[in-house]
Parts: sequence; structure tokens; C-alpha cells
Amino acid sequence: MRRRTFVGAVGGSAIAGVAGCLTRDGDGSEDDDGTGDPEPENPDLEGEVQVATYDSMVNGENPAGPWLKDAFEEAYPDAELTWTVPENGINDYIDRSQQNAEIDADVYLGANLDDLVRVDDNLEDGGLLRELNVDRIDNAERIRDGLDMGDPHGRVLAYDTGYVSPVYDEELVDEPETLDDLTEPAYEDALLAQNAQGSDTGQAFLLWTIDAYGEDGYLDYWRELEANGVRILEDWQESYNGAYMNGERSMVISYSTDQVFANEYDYEMSRHQVAFPDGQAYANPEGMGIFEGASELDLAYEFLDFALSNDAQAVIAQRNVQFPAVDEEYVDLDEEFDQYAHTPTEAVTIGYDRLRGNLDGWVDDWAREFAGR
Amino acid sequence: MLYVPVGVVFVNAVVDDGGATLAFVREVLTDPFYFGALADVFAEPLSVRHHLASVAGWLAAVSVSVSLEYPLPGVPLPVPVPGLETPGIRTGLFGFTAYQAALSTVASVALGLPAAYILANYEFRGRQTLRSLTILPFVLPGIMVAVGFYAMFGRTGTLNGLLGVGGVGPYPFIEWNPLAVVIVAHAFYNAPLVARVTVAAWESVDARTVETARSLGASPRRAFRDVIVPQLLPAILTGALLTFIFTFMTFPIVLALGGLQLATVEVWIYDRVRRLAYAEAATLTVLETLLSLALTYAYLRYESAQSGLARGAGEPDREPLFPDLRTALSPRRVAILGYGLVAVVVFVGPLASLVAGSVTDGSGLTGRHYAFLLERQLEGADYQTLPWVAIRNSLVFGVATLAVAVPMGVVVSVVTVRAGRGGAIVDTLAMLPLAVSGVVFGIGLLRGLVFGIPLPGGWRFQVTGAVAIVFAHAVAAYPFVTRNVSPLLSNLDPAMVESARALGATRYRALRDVELPLVASGIVAGAAFAFAISIGEFSSTVILAGGGQSYTMPVAVERYLGRRSGPAIAMGTVLLAVTAASFVVVDRVGGRFER
Repeated sequence: MRRRTFVGAVGGSAIAGVAGCLTRDGDGSEDDDGTGDPEPENPDLEGEVQVATYDSMVNGENPAGPWLKDAFEEAYPDAELTWTVPENGINDYIDRSQQNAEIDADVYLGANLDDLVRVDDNLEDGGLLRELNVDRIDNAERIRDGLDMGDPHGRVLAYDTGYVSPVYDEELVDEPETLDDLTEPAYEDALLAQNAQGSDTGQAFLLWTIDAYGEDGYLDYWRELEANGVRILEDWQESYNGAYMNGERSMVISYSTDQVFANEYDYEMSRHQVAFPDGQAYANPEGMGIFEGASELDLAYEFLDFALSNDAQAVIAQRNVQFPAVDEEYVDLDEEFDQYAHTPTEAVTIGYDRLRGNLDGWVDDWAREFAGR
Repeated sequence: MLYVPVGVVFVNAVVDDGGATLAFVREVLTDPFYFGALADVFAEPLSVRHHLASVAGWLAAVSVSVSLEYPLPGVPLPVPVPGLETPGIRTGLFGFTAYQAALSTVASVALGLPAAYILANYEFRGRQTLRSLTILPFVLPGIMVAVGFYAMFGRTGTLNGLLGVGGVGPYPFIEWNPLAVVIVAHAFYNAPLVARVTVAAWESVDARTVETARSLGASPRRAFRDVIVPQLLPAILTGALLTFIFTFMTFPIVLALGGLQLATVEVWIYDRVRRLAYAEAATLTVLETLLSLALTYAYLRYESAQSGLARGAGEPDREPLFPDLRTALSPRRVAILGYGLVAVVVFVGPLASLVAGSVTDGSGLTGRHYAFLLERQLEGADYQTLPWVAIRNSLVFGVATLAVAVPMGVVVSVVTVRAGRGGAIVDTLAMLPLAVSGVVFGIGLLRGLVFGIPLPGGWRFQVTGAVAIVFAHAVAAYPFVTRNVSPLLSNLDPAMVESARALGATRYRALRDVELPLVASGIVAGAAFAFAISIGEFSSTVILAGGGQSYTMPVAVERYLGRRSGPAIAMGTVLLAVTAASFVVVDRVGGRFER
């Protein structure tokens, strides 16, 4: 195994990789747009492919990571899959890229649309991850319609998706029919939301309101929510496991798969009702891509293909408690999962083009409405 | 180890495209969002007449009234509340941050001093253990404190459960006043700090000075006011100062319990770091740090102005707390009992609720959270986070931090305590580790040391792993040693060292045989803090550990957080148990060196 870092003490002589060995850069990638990564005749399927991902893929309860590793290594006997969990997600790689520090990972698993926007805001357009040659990924055509992540540079494929929606206690409040309902007296001091600055669910709900009320109207809507007593906590953890599970309020912004857990852990189902106001929920597809400087390119492509295969899709969906990215006919889910994971009639997503250049401003304007008053 | 990472980030505040600039600082200072009404002053510092007119206009609009209010819902008890009607003044993010920090400091001192009084003056079973455990809250990760508070004070929490037995409630404690809950949570962290620092000073008060005052006819009250208080004041102010600095930079607690309306500067720094806007993040951090350091400097000037009078501690005499039933019913004992009850609710409550949360589930008692830890330990792969590795690392790093930070802290104390103005400046700079935002320090470590600093010839200087973690912990911990030792040292009569020197002792010998034994209680308290800092440190540990094997218990807690908080809470409980046991050991071992 390669050592990713060297240990050294202050004043000691710590040495490390030579900076000049990096292969990523803007100077080579622009002249072969679309024709990069041709299908090799003899793919090199031997070696160590390093996959960067988020924590719960590896460390939580019953994570999907260990299964994926074992199954992948079984399918490719000469390959070794190693997981790496960057502390600040994709930011770590943007930072590394800016500082010309080495990037060892080959694959990034878990990129959201706003991650791509941040990459492009900080590096050059279409940077960090390579434009994929989708022809090399046979299973890519299984991906459902509407799950195209809309990256103009074609860097990522969705491998699962989740829907952010309100979860409520049906003994305390009725299902809200519309987003407007949440500003009515019936929902006074009812809603727990999250800080869109740092939380995925918080940001998703904010973007949903921007989709519904427009750039010029969403702040008015939030002022009404504030007048109606909305509480915006830091993160999903605090608002759900902290406040909601201790009975603080009757509604929380969470995921539409909430009942899968309620069923698994025998929670009172009345407190785990999923609402789809206006028949909608905000969709957060998660994407995977390959780093520009990947050293195990062929294995990386195989991994992307493998992640979209039948069994992998079922395991990712059920252990991650998200929805699979492929069409129903290409994945077999447990009946219980089907029964308790709900999908909205209409999925809302704000695409790459609208996010680019706007996201930070939207979030900042919103946060300043509440803080420092 | 400290200045490099901090410098790596701070340079962003004043450098733009290679050139030096103050544009970022100016932009922040003049933004009413950050500085409220002051932004106007920063924008045009010279138009004094204009600003005076604004102040006069504001004063003219102030009105005073008295109204009856019913502070307890459901209880018809009218309380006259003098209302001060002031036209809204915009405090801005910095203003609000300072405001909540000031309130938190007052609350922490108010809750911490009685504890110090009891621990220093009364003898009872378990006193020493309790003293050892006072700083336990200090090591808890923020998310655990939040979960503990919800489990204790939530609508279906422990407190409402107990009240329900008595037929009252449930009360929405957290919903009533989020700011008050945040302040109580800050006191949960910091009152023990105030208590621990003050106990150390109280125990080194020379009992004979009190006896002398009494024999000269001073009443007990007078003796307390004129003899004991002056000797305690530096310690109390130290506790207050540390509390203010900590709560000024508070991050997870405000938004976890209070909500975005209570956001502090640190919340904005975190957001700017997250979106890689380092210039703005650095600017905010520099201002935050300058404010903390200015306060530290002001305090240190005061501390060094205290002329020492103490000549060393005699054995303090402690009264038994409850010798007999009659004494137990005296007003003072009843007040102590009342305080004990408050302490149980505020300190023990959240901790106990957390422990309870590790063995319960939405549907009743369960052992599956601990089963998860055991299974992960036995069957987990090496790329996963294993509980025992985390426990072992925490203990090893803790002991190593002690070994580095205690001598470092004592040396800084000895060098600076009598050096006057110059000493205060050095001492202030030595406090820098406490006054820098944890997020920014982490990013500095990442960009500076983990990625490596490019050197000529294509080399990179990289520092990560266990040794780096110990140094980071020691740098964060030694100011605590210094701050515990310095007040005691500055209280010592300089004549004592001088006579030792005059009698032929070397400076080192005088330090070892005269000064250190007299400030031993401060060193032990500082050591306990150093250990606690190391165990509880999160932001730089997680960065330096990277994907390797040098993660610690708080890192494991964070990594076990999933859809359910149970496994993380179980790990948090393990963290509490291991830390509690270690504190008792540190204090017992340390206790041998006290007198």
C-alpha cells in the first residue's frame, strides 16, 4: 500500500512526494473535449483504486462501503479498492488542486450539484474531475430519466438520489397541502429547518422555496415563516435526533425515506409521516466521477459501471436509505423498502446553470435575514 | 506548529493577488451586518459631530415604564418588570456575539463560584473525586452536549418526565427562550472551568492570613472581603476571561440549540471556510482574535499589577458539610443544598440523560448501541474507525500532551509573571492558541502542514500523524497551565525567592524548592485542563489524523453519527467514562505533589 502521508516532527526532516509529478491540469484537457478516455483494447484491471467518499458510506451503522469493496474485489480479483474519507468533502480536493498538492484518489463518490458549482467557481470550468466517456460505462443507460445531473462538462453520473421533504406528527398537525400552508396559524411554532449554509437538507429546502417563489419572492416567504416561528438549527442531526426526537416540535425537514427507519427501529409511525406539499419534494441526486489525474483509469471506469449494477444499486439504496439511480427493472429492492420509502409526484431540482454564480448569494441573503439583528 | 498554520490562513486577510491590501478588513468593518451601528463610525471615523448627533437622537427616544408580567406560564404570579423602551440599536454580528458571550460569562461565574466555595471550604465524602470530575463537561463534543440538553430539557426529556411524576408539565423549556438555553449550555461547559481555576486558588490561600485578620478583630465577613477575595480575584477573572474567549468563539452550541437567529461570528467563519472564501474567513478571524487578545492583554496588565502577599499555604481547614441534622438545617446549608439541586439539573442532568440515551431507543431499553461498538471493534475493517483504537490514541495523546504542555506552561508562567509590560505582551501572544478559531486553525493545518509547504527543488514539507497531533494538543493546552499557575505565582511574595537566592540557591533551585511547591495546586489544575483539552480536541485532530490510524474518541463519536444517534451516544458515553476515570487518576497522582 502506498503511504499517503509521511510522519514527521516539527523541525524534523519530513519529506514527501515531488510536486512536479502531478498530471492534472487545464493545459491538456481542453484540446481533446469529448474524445477523452477512449475505450482501451486491453484494460489494465490490476492495481489499487482509491475511492473518496463521505463518512456514512464507511463508518455508520451497516454502511454500504464494506460490501462494495468486497463485491468489487471479487469481480476484479487483481484489483484492490481502498476507501478514503476527506474531512471536508470535495473542498479538500479543490484545496489540494489550488495548492498543487498531490491527489491520490481515483474516484469521487458522493458529489452533489453544488459541489460541482464550487469546483468551477474555484478552479477552472470543468475542473478537478474528468469528462466521462459514457460509452465505457455500459450500465449508464440504465439511469432513470430525470436523474441527469446536468453538468455541462459531463463529469458525473448519479448513483442514487434522495428527496428532502417535511416529516410530521399526524397527531399534532395535518399534512400541509402546500408550502403556503406552513405560514398559516395551524403550523405556528411547528417547523424545524436547518441552516442552508452548512446542511444538505437545509440547502435543499431553501432551494425548493426559491424554485417555488422565485429569486425575488423567496425571502418574503421566509419572513412569513419566521413570523410563524420557524426554527433553523445547524444541521439535520441536531434538528432530527436532537430536537424532533425529543418532542420539541411537530414537523422537521428530513428525508422521504424516514419511515424506513421508523419501521426498522419500531418507532411510533404516527410521528413519522412524510408530507409532499404541492405534491413536491426536493431531489438531491448524488453523483460519482473520476479525478483528472486518476492513476487507475480503467479500474475507475469499471467501478462506476459496477456501482450501477443490479446488486450494488440495491445495496447502496437500502444501506444508504436513498433511492436507486437506475430504472426499476434493473434493481431488486426489498418489499419493505418499497412500502416505506415514498416518492413525490413531482421532484424539484435547481440545475447546474441556475446554481452557478447564484447559490452563494441566495444563501447569504437568506442567512442575513435571520442573523446579526 | 502554531504560527505556521495560523499564518497560512491569516495572510489571506491582507494579501490579494500578491499585493498587500486592507480592502477586506475595511469591507467587514464598515458592513452594518457585522458591526451594526459601529459600522457607520468605522466608515467615517472623523465626522464626530454626525455620530454625536446620532447618539443624542437615540438617547432622546429612550423611555422607561413599569409593567406587570407573568414569567411562569400557568402560575398567576405577577412580577413588576421595569421596561426600558429603547429604539432598536443594530448590534451586528460582532455585537451580538459579544453580548451572548458576556451573558454566558456572567452565568458561568454565577454557577461556578458556589461550586468553588463548597469544594474549597467543606469536607464531605467524595469531595476530591468531585473536584476531579468538575471539568468533565469540558471534553464533550458539541453535538453530544446538544443531544444531552435536548434529552434533558426537551418536551419529552428527562426533566419533564420527572416533573410529570409530580403532575406538572410538560414545559417546552428550550422553546421558551432559546438564548437562555444557549447560555445555560455555555455555563455547562464553562462554569466548571471557573470553579476549577478558583478552587485551585482558594486552596492555596494561606489560612493563617485569615486567622491573623480575625485575631486583629475583623469580622468573618470583613476577613473574607479584605483577605480572601483579593487572593481569589485573579483566579476568578482568569476563569471569566477564558469563558468569554471561549463563548465569543462558540460554534456548534449556538446553532444546535438556539437557531440561526443566534448566529455568532464563528458561524460565519465556518460558512466562509466551507465555500472556500478564505479572504473573508481570515478577515473575520483576525478581528475575532484581536478582540480576544486585547481583552487578554488588559487582564494580564491587571494580573501583573497585583503585588504578591501570599507566603504559601498552610493546611486549609475545611468544615464538615453536614455534621449533624441541626447544622444541616441552617440557612447556609440549605442554600448549599439549593445550589446542589441546580447543579444536578444543569450539569448532571444532561450527562445522565446522555448516558440513558446510550441504552435506550425510540421503543425502550436496548443494548444494540453498545453491541454496535463491540461488533465494529471485533469485525471492523482497518479502514473503518474502531472504538479501542480511538480510546488508546486518546489516552496516549493525553499523557503525551501532559508531558509537553505542563513544563511549557510553567516555564511561560515563570518567565512572564514578573516581567511587567513586556511580560504581558509575551504572555498575551502565548495565549494565541486559545484566541484563534478552531475551524481556521484546522484549515491552516490542512493547507500548511498536511498538504505540505512547497520548498525549492520540488520538495514539500509535510507534517501529519501522531507526533503532530500531540504538538497541536500541547499548543492548545499549555495556555491553561499558564493561566492556572500565573495567578498563584503572581500572588507569591517575591521576597521569598529573593531570600532563597540570597541564601545561595540557584534560580532553578529556588523555582523547584520554593515556588513550585507553593503553586502546586495550580499546576495540578492546569495538568487536568491540559489532559482535558487533549481528550476533547476535535478540529485539528481530525485534520491531522486524516485517513490514518491516529483518530481519537471525539473523532470516533463524530464518525459514528448516522441516521440514528445511538451508536455515537454510546461512544460518547465511553468517552465520558474513560475521561472520568483518567481525571480521578490525574488528580490523585497530582494530589501527592500538592503540599
